[in-house]
Amino acid sequence: MNDLTLLREAGPEAPPLSPAARSAARAALLAEIEGGQPRSVRLPSRKVRWRIGVGAVAVAASWAAAVVIAAPDAVGPPPDSVRLVNFDMPTFPLSLDPAPAGLRPAFDGDGDGAGIASYDDAAMENGFTVHVGVDEPEGTGPDDGAPGYELLAVDEVPLGDDEVEAVTYAREWCVEDTATGCVTERRRFTWLSWERRDDQWVSLLGHGDYADAEQLQEVAGSLVDRPQPATLDVGLAPEGWSIRAYKMGRVLTLVNDAYEAQDLTVHIPPAEDVIPADQVRESIMGPIGPQLDVTVNGRPAQLVRVDIGYVIDGHRYEGWYLQAQFPDGTTFVLQAPEAFTQEQVLEMAEQVTYTP
Amino acid sequence: MRALPNAAPSDAELIARSLDDPEAFAPLFDRHAATVHRYLGRRVGELADDLLSETFLIAFRRRAAYRADHVEVRPWLLGIATNLVHVHGRTEQRRYRALAREAGRHPGTAAGPDDSADRLDAEALRGPLAAALAKLKAPDRDALLLLAWGQLGYEEIAAVLDVPVGTVRSRLHRARRQTRAALGDVSPFAPTSEEEDR
Repeated sequence: MNDLTLLREAGPEAPPLSPAARSAARAALLAEIEGGQPRSVRLPSRKVRWRIGVGAVAVAASWAAAVVIAAPDAVGPPPDSVRLVNFDMPTFPLSLDPAPAGLRPAFDGDGDGAGIASYDDAAMENGFTVHVGVDEPEGTGPDDGAPGYELLAVDEVPLGDDEVEAVTYAREWCVEDTATGCVTERRRFTWLSWERRDDQWVSLLGHGDYADAEQLQEVAGSLVDRPQPATLDVGLAPEGWSIRAYKMGRVLTLVNDAYEAQDLTVHIPPAEDVIPADQVRESIMGPIGPQLDVTVNGRPAQLVRVDIGYVIDGHRYEGWYLQAQFPDGTTFVLQAPEAFTQEQVLEMAEQVTYTP
Repeated sequence: MRALPNAAPSDAELIARSLDDPEAFAPLFDRHAATVHRYLGRRVGELADDLLSETFLIAFRRRAAYRADHVEVRPWLLGIATNLVHVHGRTEQRRYRALAREAGRHPGTAAGPDDSADRLDAEALRGPLAAALAKLKAPDRDALLLLAWGQLGYEEIAAVLDVPVGTVRSRLHRARRQTRAALGDVSPFAPTSEEEDR
């Protein structure tokens, strides 16, 4: 046996491509083909959202992919071409009054505003997701093709002048990714969706204590038209840039509107992903400069020049990796393209706020 | 019996058609989704579900830049997938480390009389191999896994990573040397020509 055979036979195995995942990916592609932009006609799987939450996106240098995606085009303007200006974050259009006890929201959205608010308790065991969109969601919930899907109950719930179906179901849920595959357990959810007003469809998906028609009815009744700001905010952004996406309330990506390949990411890493201050350089991908000890919010921060690993038209693209802290000690990471000067990276970092 | 002419358009023809008729792109998903997902899944686990979707969205958006004379569609898709894996580099490393730990805790079931020596070798090396992958530099790991799991040739790897073939050779040489070294005495490797493995 040689090493390549060994890699094929003893290397990590891939989890199976489930029919649901395949269908979702195909549907996203078809939506893109048909409409130019994929539309959020389905709630994202909470399985996906939780997986992202535990770190998949948290350390993402999303601009690195964008650079590669853009090849062989140019990847934005050169250094010293960025001008930072004041920036207003879009909001999530609804609030809950009263606010649910013990739950905190995190928002997902794009440049048009947040479309998803996820309310979860600290253990992520109980909570619900609020999805707002202009289109009626398809099917009977986001998981109707999920592994082990089992319809448990359909209840009629009065909302306003309408009777709305609340669908309660169980499905297999991946709780741990191991060498032999996913360890699953059965979990219960309740879903309902209704047109709250013209061109405003609201969907609720409850889990844990909220996997219950009456609980979701109560949540629906508490929704009010009061915009909520994003939990992760940047007070400054490069002129001519806009929001590409924000996820889980902890990851924010801005994009240069003139060069879609050029973007920057701010994220709040989970505690287990925070790199010790003296190990930042050796722990990140592609460091090419020394670890610079800088100060952000009056606290020590670490800045490293990085090689993003790609050469396009003879130019090796670089960027910045900054690990810093908010005044309360919470760590955040700012990854910016080489168009930023070192001073601009720090200037922007000083204006980042996080109010979970 | 006479073979019917193959009426199905090639991958490259579908991409060319899709420039005027975007729907012509959809069959490429049906042809290659499983391959791309398996490659991604071996690298990033369950995150492959998300990255599979992203891979095809990016491919569709970038289809005008596809050059059939440069590389075939399957390697092109795997190249896009590889770049997406880069975005989640630490996720990939964490996965390998977790698998290495897992293999250490559960070193495998007892051998049966029908188990081949190669299978036993592979079982014993599952953990050390995952640990070795975690330690490789990302560009070296890309080249190695495109070769081993993507089953791409040197020229195809060079094309999708946008580097010279010589760079691919050096990355592969380094990755394979480091992998063998990491496996140390437990390795069953017989010295082979790397070119023969393609």
